[in-house]
Amino acid sequence: MDKIVNMPTKEETLQIISDLAKQQAVTKEEIMTAYNQGTGIIPDQILTKKVSVTEILYYIGGGVVFLGISILMAQNWSVLGFETKVLATLGVSIMAYLVGILFGQNTKTETVGSAFYLISALVAPIGLYVIFENAGFDITGPGIQSLISGILFCTYLFSFIVFRKNIFTLFSIIFGTWLFYSLTGLLAGSSPYFGSSKFYQYQTLIAGLSYALLGYSFSKTERAPLRGFLYGFGILGFLGASMALGGWEPNQSIFWELLFPVLVFGTLFLSVYIKSKSFLVFGTLFLMGYILKITAEYFSNSLGWPLVLVISGLSMIGIGYMSFAVKKKYLSSD
Amino acid sequence: MRFIKENITFILGISIPVAMILFVSASIYIPGLLIKPKFNFLYSIDNNSYYDDSHQYAISSGKIIRKELDLSKRRNSFAPNEDPKLFIHDVAKNESLEISFAEALRLDLDPNIKSPDEFEITNGGRGGGFFPFFYSPGTDYNAKYLKGRSLGKKLNLQIGPQQNYYSFYFLGWIK
Repeated sequence: MDKIVNMPTKEETLQIISDLAKQQAVTKEEIMTAYNQGTGIIPDQILTKKVSVTEILYYIGGGVVFLGISILMAQNWSVLGFETKVLATLGVSIMAYLVGILFGQNTKTETVGSAFYLISALVAPIGLYVIFENAGFDITGPGIQSLISGILFCTYLFSFIVFRKNIFTLFSIIFGTWLFYSLTGLLAGSSPYFGSSKFYQYQTLIAGLSYALLGYSFSKTERAPLRGFLYGFGILGFLGASMALGGWEPNQSIFWELLFPVLVFGTLFLSVYIKSKSFLVFGTLFLMGYILKITAEYFSNSLGWPLVLVISGLSMIGIGYMSFAVKKKYLSSD
Repeated sequence: MRFIKENITFILGISIPVAMILFVSASIYIPGLLIKPKFNFLYSIDNNSYYDDSHQYAISSGKIIRKELDLSKRRNSFAPNEDPKLFIHDVAKNESLEISFAEALRLDLDPNIKSPDEFEITNGGRGGGFFPFFYSPGTDYNAKYLKGRSLGKKLNLQIGPQQNYYSFYFLGWIK
């Protein structure tokens, strides 16, 4: 008869892990590595939870390098040949990407590598613009913009799949957003139904909603460091577009003007649920903006502008206090 | 199913923009397949750009008429260099055919802005947004569209590169 191997139960395993942790004989990382080996999950490489001053300086340095290349190109655009332009832009981008990979191999230099990835991502669009402009395309048209953003989106999505770095997730989202705007613009063309600011507001509404949802889905994963960026820009775009869709008298949209307070209070409620200061801050600011807008739009003639200002000011004090209280009670640890 | 349940917000976050792309595509192309405008129209291409009621041609009692122009009202300082041209636009084929004034005289015309089947001619969108998030080309304002009943069909008119949207002058729907 075969010997039966007695596997420990789940409770026993967790108890063993707990005991080992008490004795400091096992680390959280080791447990996660073992778990990932079992499930086959390739863990993401997180930059760091909190960005230090040194890291900020790296990124500022990357931004300055990009600025230098841009100014160099702008000042010498007419005298530089095509090959030089490509080398100074796309060439630099590819080299920076490769340097980023090399630095990324070592955990000590990983953050420096991220700064080089930043240079690569900032310069790459200029390089592609140079190539398409030289080929005779209209680089301001949505067709070429869709192509360039599509190339960059695929590049950084593929980079994320290979290297599992959060910075590539961020670039994929940014270039994906650009692709979304340019592709919808390309499809809509100058159609009389879509060629207006309303269409742009709907695009921003959708992009903002998508950012907020992605932020929430990342919040409990290894991509949690991107949560703040996604929540902040997401809710700003979503509420900003919703308010703009409300319009202004006499071309206002009653539907959006009535829906907006529901969205704002929903945002404030969600700020507690998802523990997001961005939701609380932008929800508060947009609620104040909405009160000012509505009073100026509908009550300034009947109540008189000075009285409207007094009422608006008092409302803002009340909203500000409410926001402060919510932050203190529910989000102080966030 | 378990993957969908565990990643529902991620899936929604990705699929909402994709759904908008599909919606825009569908709302552009599906009406073009299903809705067919019936009424052709007559228009002129007039480079002389006059103020007010100073186009060379007009409609009176359903017929085209030629007017004597008061050159003192012209918009541009230079003298007219060519006579306005007349075109019939075939909405089914989306192509324009030049005709003479004598041929135009035989047409019964409806000068209303809207056609009997509820279409009108409008300019393309001006575009806008900020770099790089433009929401439409922004350079196609000279384009004309046949708009109505959810259809926005770009018209292939005989507006040359030297002309702009002022050059186009709608005269009437052909009954």
